[in-house]
Amino acid sequence: MNPLAGADAVARLLAAVPKAEIASSPVKDYPTIRLAAPADLLLAARLLKGDLGFMYLEMVTAVDWLGPVNLGGFVCGGNSNPLSRKPAAPPVSPVPGPGVSYRPMLDLLWSFGNLGENRKIFLRLELPRDRAEVPSLTSLFAAADWQEREAFDLFGIRFTGHPNLIKILTPDFLQGHPLRKDYVHAKDRYDEE
Amino acid sequence: MGIILDKFPLIAKAIPGGQVVLTSTDYIIDLGRKYSLWPLTFGLACCAIEMMVAYAGRFDFDRFGVIPRPSPRQADLLLIAGTVTKKMAAPIVDIYHQMPEPRFVMAMGSCANCGGPFYDSYSVVKGIDRIIPVDVYIPGCPPRPEALIYGVMELQKKIMRMKLERGGGATVQAEKGSRDPAGEDA
Repeated sequence: MNPLAGADAVARLLAAVPKAEIASSPVKDYPTIRLAAPADLLLAARLLKGDLGFMYLEMVTAVDWLGPVNLGGFVCGGNSNPLSRKPAAPPVSPVPGPGVSYRPMLDLLWSFGNLGENRKIFLRLELPRDRAEVPSLTSLFAAADWQEREAFDLFGIRFTGHPNLIKILTPDFLQGHPLRKDYVHAKDRYDEE
Repeated sequence: MGIILDKFPLIAKAIPGGQVVLTSTDYIIDLGRKYSLWPLTFGLACCAIEMMVAYAGRFDFDRFGVIPRPSPRQADLLLIAGTVTKKMAAPIVDIYHQMPEPRFVMAMGSCANCGGPFYDSYSVVKGIDRIIPVDVYIPGCPPRPEALIYGVMELQKKIMRMKLERGGGATVQAEKGSRDPAGEDA
């Protein structure tokens, strides 16, 4: 797909959404917009669905940028895991690789598809890990329901306004959000020797 | 098992020459069970693809009397083909208890045997024998259809050792772990 095909959509999105910018880390070569605040999300999504024809919400996911974590759940640079009983590890400054900066942030990602014109656009939004709250898109896209439940289940992102924000993948007795970097697995009934 | 078959060893032993009748009955019953192992169609992951191939034309599982059934009420054999997650563990126990006795379980593939590559995962049961008794373990990731056929043949050998006076493999049930349907290691 030619990434320039979505240039007009990107321009309209940048004009309508305050402080939005073209993301420095695009998804492949698709047009990727980085939003500045959670409040901009509904505005951008409404514009995408209404005027620009992006009717299809393909994906809601996230990346945890906390950085390298050892098996005990200790993050290099501090322990932010409330489930771990051990004291915090001595701070070790992480050595980020090229183009990677570790930070206590969740990088959320939405993928919108325009099936009529065969185009795709991505929205990114960074949220602090301990206050990951973002408005739900269920009022616009019915597909957001299960996708947001999955993101809540695995990353612990609270989608405000979601009608039924409960676990969808992990069993009921599993504590915590497994795809968070500092997740430590507490033994359950199937782990006993 | 039926009331008549449960009482039959006692009756047969009481009459002269009854032991011959008993062993012949054992042989016929075991033969019937051996060649009508109806597995539940229960694919959980990629092992199910190999299981489907085994049912299909080239390997033709039907010639062993292995005919897939869509309901646990009609099945003798629970073929756990694939990764068992902790969320799926409770339904599997439910399905196992819905099957009529005598019931057999085969663990197909590394995941069902011991957790396989997902051993350290937060969501995978480390072997199906932690929740239900297993008769035959088939190693492989995934096992080839030949391995599955070999596993069924091993189960058939075990079934031929089942005897009515030992409960016919039906009544003595380990809650979990590996088990011998002939009841010889119990």
